[in-house]
Amino acid sequence: MDSRNGTPDEAVVRAVLAGDVELYAVLVERYRDRYARYAARMLGSRDAAEDAVQDALVRAFDRLADCREPAKFAGWLFLILRNRCFAERRRNQRQGRPLEYADEAVAGPERSDGAVERRESVQAVEHALGQLTPEQREAFVLKHVEGLSYDEIAGLTGATVASLKMRMHRAYDRLRDLLKEHES
Amino acid sequence: MRALRLVLIVALGAASPRGSAAQDAAARMDGRVPADVARAVQAIAEGARARGLPVEPLIQKAIEGSAKGVPAERVVEAVRVLAGRLDEAQGALREAGIATPGADAVEGGAYALTAGLTASQVRELVRLSQPSYDPALTLHVAATLTALGVPPEQSLQVMERRIQARQGANELLDLPNEVEVGMARGATPAEATREVEETESQQGVTSTSAAPPPPNRPARANPHKP
Amino acid sequence: MTNYPLPVKQLLDGELTLAELPPELRAAGEEALGLVASVDRTPVTLSPTLDARVMAAVRHRATSRARRVWRWFATPRDLELRLRVRPWAAWASGLAAAAGVALLLTRPPARVPAGAVAARVATPNVVFVRFVLYAPGAKRVAVAGTFNQWDQTAAPLVPAGTGGVWSTTLALPVGQHQYAFVVDGRRWVADPAAPAVDDGFGRRNSVVAVTAQGARTL
Repeated sequence: MDSRNGTPDEAVVRAVLAGDVELYAVLVERYRDRYARYAARMLGSRDAAEDAVQDALVRAFDRLADCREPAKFAGWLFLILRNRCFAERRRNQRQGRPLEYADEAVAGPERSDGAVERRESVQAVEHALGQLTPEQREAFVLKHVEGLSYDEIAGLTGATVASLKMRMHRAYDRLRDLLKEHES
Repeated sequence: MRALRLVLIVALGAASPRGSAAQDAAARMDGRVPADVARAVQAIAEGARARGLPVEPLIQKAIEGSAKGVPAERVVEAVRVLAGRLDEAQGALREAGIATPGADAVEGGAYALTAGLTASQVRELVRLSQPSYDPALTLHVAATLTALGVPPEQSLQVMERRIQARQGANELLDLPNEVEVGMARGATPAEATREVEETESQQGVTSTSAAPPPPNRPARANPHKP
Repeated sequence: MTNYPLPVKQLLDGELTLAELPPELRAAGEEALGLVASVDRTPVTLSPTLDARVMAAVRHRATSRARRVWRWFATPRDLELRLRVRPWAAWASGLAAAAGVALLLTRPPARVPAGAVAARVATPNVVFVRFVLYAPGAKRVAVAGTFNQWDQTAAPLVPAGTGGVWSTTLALPVGQHQYAFVVDGRRWVADPAAPAVDDGFGRRNSVVAVTAQGARTL
């Protein structure tokens, strides 16, 4: 790891703003995969996630001068990505395109330990996740995939813990219903 | 090494002569603006430049006034007022959380103030715009709506709805045209704007259950685990 | 549609353990935990070419930022060209009435109606925009604005026929412009169909945004 990669975000942001555009690559490398899973779960496929992350990183560059706290670049980038995911979801809804999960598990290569049953239940849950509202899906993904606490999710998204819990509890019920339908 | 290089760049930037920028302004006004007006405008521009404000609009305003045959004192006064608006806009942008507002945003803010928005409305709109929308863009849209005759509060309201519905930049940029379509049919600007809002809520375009994140809540450092 | 009992939800939230659940709810609790455990948590890695694509876009933006071209209108869109004429309004002084007409572009359909005038894209940064003024009785008409340093000799309009309509076509750079018509060398007239802003001298200027796709109201 060269010394550049140890540089705090704040210093990199300020350097880029001062004109050292090439240094932005440090931030790109640092954050490109961090939110990939979140984007993939929100949008239903790795390809869609890649587009969203790419757009978010470019947009973050465009708006870098507006990043209020350069030390908090990570959270700020997350918000840009989040808005991008929600916008795409809305666009798909307007065009009547439901959230489609790729047939293989979203994350990638076929599992060689191949318990078919396990794979089917993963797919069933993924499919059910796709039927939640974007807000419910986000809450669920942040808590149960990304492993964040309610307080952390509240800090990232700006929602209150109370409203997050409400969303989550509705999501649990909805998932249960969808999976029961799927079974029958 | 890199830290040293940055310091050098910054130091050079500060030391570069302002003379060339002033010469540009003088050349632009030469022959178009009377000498006494040009001198006064140069002084105002210097002060503005020192505060980090864009100077181009000031030169433009001086040229405009002179071309319109406006008396010298009135031209200088208008340039002074514009400099004040640029300053006020910059302040509002900073208060809204943009540490170093770009020239586009400051000019957009001054345009909004000239069109009739208050500084606190400018601040509010800029806060609302973050982080997803370029404040220069949203300010221009709000200013243009107001310039069409839409009451400022209503301009803000219709924009707020689209921002909270997370609509794209194009949907915001279209607002003035949509209002004009209504006006061409004979509606007043306020009526036309109401029609735009009503059509929108009928189509369910506005956001449903999600409360948008309060724009001025600081984004916490990402606690994602590795 | 039966909901999970609240304690089971609290279990899922991590606020209760399985042991803390009332015995009659343990089975539901395990079922719920199983559901959540089925979620795919495999990390997602994106293509290695993503960095290169982002940096290519970043470099491009860094260079074009210097020109301050209006990036908001970068996406090409369908155009409809529309000529709007407002009924002319008599001025209080009874002088020749004038009504401004500026060419505006709005959204689809893309087909250009026959006879409509065009705002043609000359190069990506310059667009031809046609200005039209209805001013019967005027002897001279010009358009002046930020695009020509407010010089009323720079862009005279030409009468089209004898009906009182004057027009000209200008090549304008991309960006926002303020302008006004000058009638008979002394009367500065804003376009009543366009947004108007205080010019700081007691009059009003009209505003038009010239984009890579044409002219529009912002």
